[in-house]
Amino acid sequence: MVVRQYNEELKYLEKINPYCWKIKMGFQPNMNVEGVFYVNSTLEKLMLEELKNSCRPGMTGGFLPGVKQIANVAALPGIVGRSIGLPDVHSGYGFAIGNMAAFDMGNPKSIVSPGGVGFDINCGVRLLRTNLHEKDVQPIKEQLAQSLFDHIPVGVGSKGIIPMNARDLEEALEMGMDWSLREGYVWAEDKEHCEEYGRMLNADPSKVSLRAKKRGLPQLGTLGAGNHYAEIQVVDEIFDKYAAGKMGIERIGQVCVMIHSGSRGFGHQVATDALVQMEKAMKRDEIDTNDRQLACARINSVEGQDYLKAMAAAANFAWVNRSSMTFLTRQAFAKQFKMAPDDLDMHVIYDVSHNIAKVEEHVVDGKVKTLLVHRKGSTRAFPPHHPLIPVDYQLTGQPVLIGGTMGTCSYVLTGTHQGMTETFGSTCHGAGRALSRAKSRRNIDYKEVLEKLENMGISIRVASPKLVMEEAPESYKNVTDVVDTCHAAGISKKTVKLRPIAVIKG
Amino acid sequence: MSNIFKLKLTALGHPNPGDFNCEDEKEYRSVILWLEDQKIRHYKIEERDGLRNIEKDSWKDAFNTYQKDLVSPVLEGTPNEQLNWLLSYAVRLEYADNVEKYKNAKVEKPKQAAPNVVSSNPLDNLDFSSPAFKAGVERVCTLAGVGPHPDPKFRLAALANILKTTPHPQPPPNEANLIQQPSDVLKLLFVQDLRDLQTKINESLVAVQTVTADPRTDTTLGRVGR
Repeated sequence: MVVRQYNEELKYLEKINPYCWKIKMGFQPNMNVEGVFYVNSTLEKLMLEELKNSCRPGMTGGFLPGVKQIANVAALPGIVGRSIGLPDVHSGYGFAIGNMAAFDMGNPKSIVSPGGVGFDINCGVRLLRTNLHEKDVQPIKEQLAQSLFDHIPVGVGSKGIIPMNARDLEEALEMGMDWSLREGYVWAEDKEHCEEYGRMLNADPSKVSLRAKKRGLPQLGTLGAGNHYAEIQVVDEIFDKYAAGKMGIERIGQVCVMIHSGSRGFGHQVATDALVQMEKAMKRDEIDTNDRQLACARINSVEGQDYLKAMAAAANFAWVNRSSMTFLTRQAFAKQFKMAPDDLDMHVIYDVSHNIAKVEEHVVDGKVKTLLVHRKGSTRAFPPHHPLIPVDYQLTGQPVLIGGTMGTCSYVLTGTHQGMTETFGSTCHGAGRALSRAKSRRNIDYKEVLEKLENMGISIRVASPKLVMEEAPESYKNVTDVVDTCHAAGISKKTVKLRPIAVIKG
Repeated sequence: MSNIFKLKLTALGHPNPGDFNCEDEKEYRSVILWLEDQKIRHYKIEERDGLRNIEKDSWKDAFNTYQKDLVSPVLEGTPNEQLNWLLSYAVRLEYADNVEKYKNAKVEKPKQAAPNVVSSNPLDNLDFSSPAFKAGVERVCTLAGVGPHPDPKFRLAALANILKTTPHPQPPPNEANLIQQPSDVLKLLFVQDLRDLQTKINESLVAVQTVTADPRTDTTLGRVGR
């Protein structure tokens, strides 16, 4: 890494408009393309502060600052367009979380990197609507939260209540949501309203290690820990009445359920296994990167293909996982309200993936190209009339679900044409960490956090209260800042704001 | 050709239609004479002498005159074409003489290999030779920069290829509305078709679910983590 004074570093950064900064070539060695990141004035300070801190003498260890990571990604072979940091960007393993990068499939040197997908493969958000109003739920909020907590096992080491054997898992890995559909855990309409229709066709369970399968089997249908959660939310504000209507959101106070989860230990193991393989491939193919954490392999190499097939299986695992939790949520609501989920209109509005690599077609320099798009902590946000979004959203653009942090609000956005051309149809994914986990544990008291939530009228059920401060709103950027930046920059459009009334968490 | 001759001669009641060889000059001439004598009867009997002299060279002139008198449309045609017309003419006369007898006859339709699909899609019934179509193709091709080609269908194919592989050309500002509105309508129609298709897909999935679905839970398996 180049060591420069902070003032020297700043010369490589240029604010091109109030919401967008350019990272010029040379900021990091061997950059193939420029970098860019979207921030407003508040987020900008956080970004630059992080860079400033890293420039102080004696600052070693930990992740590189986000800006540096974006620039290192711009130096990877085969990258096209720009290496893009979304407003919620923060340091991660290799790639920053909130970084998207696209690689030309037509270039034999192009790479795929597990660090560009993240360890929680196909971590994502699903939003269910109901026809209930806040006042229907408030009186039995506690019971409902408890019921959800009883149905959906949470926390590290939790086990699911949907019986599955090894054969079921193999099938689920191959079929994704089609498995849930076949077994009757979800509705046909759920598949329709899911990114990729809930199934990656190139999934190959035989490319997944036995260890990953062993870890994954008991965890299906569990929420997990960390920033994952299931929340009962109510509609707080509607920005785009037409688009909201298309999603079945008609009024303020309407109750929705948001599920934020991923592929649990299964995806983590798949990513870990791939990193080991890729280190070998890098040596063999003489791939040079600026950061050891940016382990990668050529897309066309055996390692690259094996990873993509295993990653697809992990993505399918995550969809089955979220589908199972959808089933359990419907059961919990049905029991509490003594009504069928059908009658409660508990439809899936949409299901997004924000840790994934996908083959997509995009226009680059006036030509249609097939690209491998890495989105790590970044959500696909396709514009109206895109062929890959469900028919119900053809006129509004793809719904983009942005989960806030515990106790703060969440948003639904829609994709725009500007986002399609500027960011390969990508936008932010959540609030984005501001403090590291360790720092949060040091600085915040968990009792205070729980008290605060209670004062806000939010019911909370947690498996491990002592870890709650890692996920406290204070540890994160303000999700409203993040979303407003995306909206103002035009890369996605605000549709609905939701606020939580009950949270269950690992 | 000879098969048609055979069919028509049979219909007309010729004594030996199967043996007739149209390439044989003599047989050809005698059939013409037979047609006039028995079926067409355009001339009075004494006027038919010219045609009756089958052996003489003057027969050709007599035949030409005869065709002119009948106002045959294939005067300039090959002998076979001339004979074919005369045979058809004779059949028509025969039919006209006996309408009552023939009108109930039914033609046995040959079986078609493929069912005759009548397309309800107006695009399938486009008239590719119409000037409007040609002008339309010309205009869009100019916008997209497709070079000239005599066959408008060829240019349309080239255009389709361009539209599929490259970003769409911007219409000139004065025509933007003209292009925007119909393309909006097409998009809406497409969305409607897509909705119908998706609904059918969902119905099929639900139908399969009635056979395969058996969702179960077992709460004893559940374990809350730390």
